[in-house]
Amino acid sequence: MATIDLDQMLDKVKASQWALKDIDWDAPGAELITDEQWPKLRDFMVDLVWIEHVGARGFAAMAKNAPTDTLRQMYHYFYAEEQRHANAEMALMKRWGMLDGDDVPEPNNNIRLVVDWMEKHADELPYNVLGTVIPALEVALDGALCQFLLETVDDPVCHEAFDKINEDESRHLGVGFSVMEMQGHNQASVGMVRFMGRMFQPHVLLGLAVYTPLLNKMRDNVVKVGLPEEKLYHAMKKFEKIGGRTEQGRRNPMFQFVARHMRVMVDRNQKFYHTPVDLLVKLTDRIPAWALPDKPGWVGDVTWKPTD
Amino acid sequence: MVRKQQAHNEQHTHAMVIVGAGFAGLGMAIKLRQAGIEDFVILERASEVGGTWRDNQYPGAACDVPSNLYSFSFAPNPDWSRSYSGSREILDYIRYLADAYDLRRHIRFNANVDSLRFDEEAGVWRAHTDDGATHVGRATLLASGPLADPEYPNISGIDDFQGHRIHSSRWDHDYDFRGKKVAVIGTGASAVQIVPELVKEVDQLKVFQRTPAWILPRLDVATPEWNKTLFRRIPGAQDAMRKALYGVHEAMALGVVWNTPLTKLLERMARAHLHRQVKDAWLRRELTPDFTIGCKRVLMTSDYYPALQQPNCKLITYPIDRISEQGIRTAEGIEHQFDCIVFATGFHVNNQGAPIPIYGRGGRNLDAEWRGGARAFKGTNISGYPNLFMTLGPNSGPGHNSALVYMEAQLDYALQGVHKILQEDLKMLDVRPHVQQKHNERLQKRLAKTNWNSGCSSWYLTEDGFNATMFPGFATQFVQQLKTLQGKDYIKV
Ligand SMILES: Cc1cc2nc3c(=O)[nH]c(=O)nc-3n(C[C@H](O)[C@H](O)[C@H](O)COP(=O)(O)OP(=O)(O)OC[C@H]3O[C@@H](n4cnc5c(N)ncnc54)[C@H](O)[C@@H]3O)c2cc1C
Ligand SMILES: [Fe+2]
Repeated sequence: MATIDLDQMLDKVKASQWALKDIDWDAPGAELITDEQWPKLRDFMVDLVWIEHVGARGFAAMAKNAPTDTLRQMYHYFYAEEQRHANAEMALMKRWGMLDGDDVPEPNNNIRLVVDWMEKHADELPYNVLGTVIPALEVALDGALCQFLLETVDDPVCHEAFDKINEDESRHLGVGFSVMEMQGHNQASVGMVRFMGRMFQPHVLLGLAVYTPLLNKMRDNVVKVGLPEEKLYHAMKKFEKIGGRTEQGRRNPMFQFVARHMRVMVDRNQKFYHTPVDLLVKLTDRIPAWALPDKPGWVGDVTWKPTD
Repeated sequence: MVRKQQAHNEQHTHAMVIVGAGFAGLGMAIKLRQAGIEDFVILERASEVGGTWRDNQYPGAACDVPSNLYSFSFAPNPDWSRSYSGSREILDYIRYLADAYDLRRHIRFNANVDSLRFDEEAGVWRAHTDDGATHVGRATLLASGPLADPEYPNISGIDDFQGHRIHSSRWDHDYDFRGKKVAVIGTGASAVQIVPELVKEVDQLKVFQRTPAWILPRLDVATPEWNKTLFRRIPGAQDAMRKALYGVHEAMALGVVWNTPLTKLLERMARAHLHRQVKDAWLRRELTPDFTIGCKRVLMTSDYYPALQQPNCKLITYPIDRISEQGIRTAEGIEHQFDCIVFATGFHVNNQGAPIPIYGRGGRNLDAEWRGGARAFKGTNISGYPNLFMTLGPNSGPGHNSALVYMEAQLDYALQGVHKILQEDLKMLDVRPHVQQKHNERLQKRLAKTNWNSGCSSWYLTEDGFNATMFPGFATQFVQQLKTLQGKDYIKV
C-alpha cells in the first residue's frame, strides 16, 4: 500500500464525523449483559474510557508537534475523536448502569501515573516517538480490546457504537502507519543515532517506567475478563505486519523499538522483562491516593450526555 | 418629483462622488470643503453616518489603538473619556464631525451603490444606486470600508439553527440575553471584546475557538478631568501626546511586522500575561498560539482570559462539525445546545474581488482582474480605472498603528488628484500600468520577509497565500510615499 494522500484523508475525516446523538442509547438490548459479565465488564470499560482519554491527550501533543499544517489539523481531529470514543463508551456504561453519578470512575493507579507523565512530558516528546507509540497502543487497544468486546457482548447498541469507533480508528491507523513510513524514509541513515540520543533522555525513560506497567496491567485485566492472550499477541503481530510492510516503515528505528518491545510484552516467558514490570504493577497499585499526583486540567472532560 | 430629482442628478456632474460615510468618506468631505470644493455628494447605504462604529455596537466594542491616535489629526477631541474609547463614543465623534463640518447636506442616505462605471468619452464616473438613481462625478472616492460586510463561517447546517443568530457587527439590541445559553463562534478582535461583557449577562456561555490569538494586556483607564482640561486649554499638550503614542506604535512594527528580537520579547510578554491570568496549565496550553506573533492580528485585552474562567463560561476547542437545529456539534461527539449563537467571525475581505462591480477604461472589470489577488498603486489608485481613489485599498492595512493615519495620507493624496483633474481639466488621470506593476513587485518582495507571510493562515492572505491586504513597513513610510502625487506616474488625458 502506498503512502496515503494526507490532504484527502483530512477531507475524509471531516466528512466522517458522527455524534452521540446519532445513536439511540435507550434502544433494547442492554439486558443482554449477563450478571456474571457485568462487574468484569465494568472494570474493563473504566480502563477503556481512560485509555481513550489518555490517547486523546497523546494526539493533542502530536497536533502541537506535527511537521505540517495538514497533520496538525488531522491530529487535532483525532484528539477530539478519541474524546468522542471515551464519551461513547461512557454512554454505554451509563446504559449498562455502570456509572455512579455523571463523572468518569476513578482510574487505576497505573493510569494515574501515565496521566501525570503525559501532562508533564507529552508535549515535549519527539514527534516520531509519539508517532509510533500511539499507533502501537491503538492496535493493541482498539484492535484487540474492542474486538474482544464485540465477541463477548451481544448488546446491539454496543456493536453500533463500536462500528463507528472502529471506523475512526482505522483512519487513525492509516495515518499513523503512513507517517511512520514517511519517517523511516526521512531518517534512513541518521535515524538510529538521533533516536538513541532521544531515548536516553530522562523523561523518555520515565515514560517507559510508567507505560510498561500499564500495558502489563491492561494485559492482566484483559485476561481476567476472558480474552485469550493469543488475541493480544495477534494484535501486536498486526502492528508489526502493517508497520513493517514497506522498507521505509521497517527502517523507522522507533518502529523497530516498539515492535520489539511489544513482542516481549506479550510473551510471558520473557522473565527478564516481566518480573520487574509486574513488580512495578504491584507497587503502583499500592501507592496511596494522597501520594498520587494531582489531576491536570484536561482530565475528566468526558461525558455520557449526547447534548449539553 | 423623484424622477425630476434623478434627471437632475443625471445631468449634474459633481467634482467628486464619495461612496460611504464612515471615517474615510467624511474625512474626504472635510478636506474637500477646506480646499473650497463644495460640489460633491456622499452616497451612504445606511441611514446614518459612522460606518464601522455605527455597525459595531456589540457589548464591549471599542478601539484597540488609543483614542488620541485613533481620531483625525485635524480634529482632536480633548474629551475622550477613556484611553480606548467605546464604540458609542467613537460614533458620537463621527457624528460630531458630520455636524461640525456641515456635511449632512451632502449625504444621500439609503443610497446603496451597486455599480461604478467610468465614461471615457466624458471623463466621468457614474455611480448607480439600487434605487435607480445615477450620480456623476469627475472623480470618485471608494470609501466603502475595508471591513464593512459581515462574514459568516463556512459551517454546514448554519441555516438549520432554530435559535437566535447574531453577527457581532449587526447586534440585536432587543434580544434579552438574561437566563440564556449562548455560543460565541470565533476568538478574534470582536470576540475578545464581546465575551467579557456577555458572560456577565447570560446563564451559560461557550466560546468556540479554532486558533488562539496572541493577546497583550491593555491598559484602559478613564481619562482624569484635569487631563481633559489640560488638552482643552493647551491643545499642544494633546498633540504631544498623540505624537508620543504614534512613536510607541511605530516602534511596535519592529516586533509585529518583522521577526526581530522584539518579536520574541512581545511573545514573552504575551505569554507572561497568559500565565498571570490563567492558572490552569491545560487551559493555558489551549490558549497558546503556535505561530509567530504578528502573523495574525495581535489582540489587546486584559478582560478576556478572566472572563473565560468564569464558572458560567467554557472554552471549546474541539473542531466544529456542523450546526444543527438546536446547537453546535463538535468532533468530540457532543451537541452543544443554545438559545442564541453569536458569530464573531469578522468580515468579508475584498482581497480577491471588488467590493462592488466597478468598470474602468474599455469596460474592464475590476472584480475579474482582482480574482487572483487585489493589486493597486499605493493602496489608493488602480491602473485602468482613472480618477478613482480608494481608502484602505489593497496593501494599505496597518498591523501596528492607527488606520486613520494611513487613511489621512490617502485622503490628502486624493485631494491632490482632484485638484489636478480640476485645474488641468483632465478627463483621465490614470496610473501607468508598469508603475503599478513595479510598485507591487516591490511590495511583494518586502512582504515575503514579514511575519504576516510567515506561514499561518489569516484574513490578511488569500487562500493561495497572497498578501493583498497589509503594507510592509512603518506608517511613516506609508505616509511618506503619498506625500506628493508625481505626475510622471500617471497618464494624463
Ligand atoms: C470592530 C472593529 C474595530 C476596529 N478597531 C480599530 C482600531 O482600534 N484601530 C484602527 O486603526 N482600526 C480599527 N478598525 C478598522 C476600521 O474599519 C477603520 O479604522 C475605519 O473605521 C474604516 O473607516 P472607513 O470609512 O474606511 O470604512 P467604514 O467605517 O466601514 O465605512 C464605510 C461606509 O461605507 C458604506 N458603504 C459600504 N458599501 C457601500 C455601497 N455599496 N454603497 C453605499 N455605501 C456603502 C458603509 O455602510 C459604511 O458606512 C476596526 C474595525 C472593526 C470592524
Ligand atoms: Fe481510541
